[in-house]
Amino acid sequence: MTEPWIVILYLAAATFAIRLTGVYVGQSLPQQGRIARALNALPGCLIAALVAQSLSTGGPAEWTAATVAAATAIATRSLPLTMAAGIAAVLVARAALG
Amino acid sequence: MTPLTPRAEAISAARDILPLAFGVAVYGAAFGLLAAQAAMTELEVGVMGALVFAGSSQIVAVERMIAGAGAAAAIVAGVALNLRLLLITASVRDIYRDRPWWQIALGAHLATDENWALMLAKRGEGAQAGYWYLVGGGLLIGVTWLVATTAGVAFARMIPEPRAIGMDFAFTAAFIAILRSLFRGRADVVPWAVAIGVVALGQGTGLIPPAWTLIAGGLAGTVVAGLTADD
Repeated sequence: MTEPWIVILYLAAATFAIRLTGVYVGQSLPQQGRIARALNALPGCLIAALVAQSLSTGGPAEWTAATVAAATAIATRSLPLTMAAGIAAVLVARAALG
Repeated sequence: MTPLTPRAEAISAARDILPLAFGVAVYGAAFGLLAAQAAMTELEVGVMGALVFAGSSQIVAVERMIAGAGAAAAIVAGVALNLRLLLITASVRDIYRDRPWWQIALGAHLATDENWALMLAKRGEGAQAGYWYLVGGGLLIGVTWLVATTAGVAFARMIPEPRAIGMDFAFTAAFIAILRSLFRGRADVVPWAVAIGVVALGQGTGLIPPAWTLIAGGLAGTVVAGLTADD
């Protein structure tokens, strides 16, 4: 078997196992109390970490664009407008800041 | 308000996710370009997209193959990047509860950063968004990803780099918008700051490998939220 097929099959099996494990971990954790409250906070923390990770590999242009996107999100609460403002801002900031 | 039918909920998700699907299409085309460099065929790219269905891990795994790191290194890099999917499916446990096995398998396989985050944002705004919202958004993202990646291999020479048109920032901007919808008030401030701080520290010092900083940050914030919650 060629290299791409080996990678595809193993990566697919492992990824599906990870997704399914998450479902069962979620079902088996307590439904009330401290752990349940912590689990409610997980999505926001994970997305905050995701944004931080992506910005940590960027520079001043990306940080400026993130500020513009955050201001747009707060002002409009609109996903498409925030994406459009962020993309436009990053293009302008990269041209200006190099 | 009458509850939406599964079909109506899935369709509303497909509509809401369109701006993100545009970003997925650009990345899919770029992934096709990368796959062409690894001498992968349309069939291999299509099967990989359908079975793995986790874009960033596919990109990393194919990059490793092009770099000549070998199949094992490519698999490990892709799997490490996908460990966060465990947290993603665990965090929306209510949508999988009491469902038949095939719906659990389908809903787990179709869970990605984009449709999961959008579902939570929609809930944050008080709308009905559950299992079928995740599935509807996942299906649209999936079809987009399959079409864009296979077209990317076939027309590799005609594709611009995402960065050249600012599209590398599309998902960062989208997740900022989604964070805005998820913000529930003061109780979120400290956990989110901890999550961001751990990522910044891990990236800055290089003490935590990049694939793990995200998970470390997300979990650290979650633990702090569990310790500080007093309601």
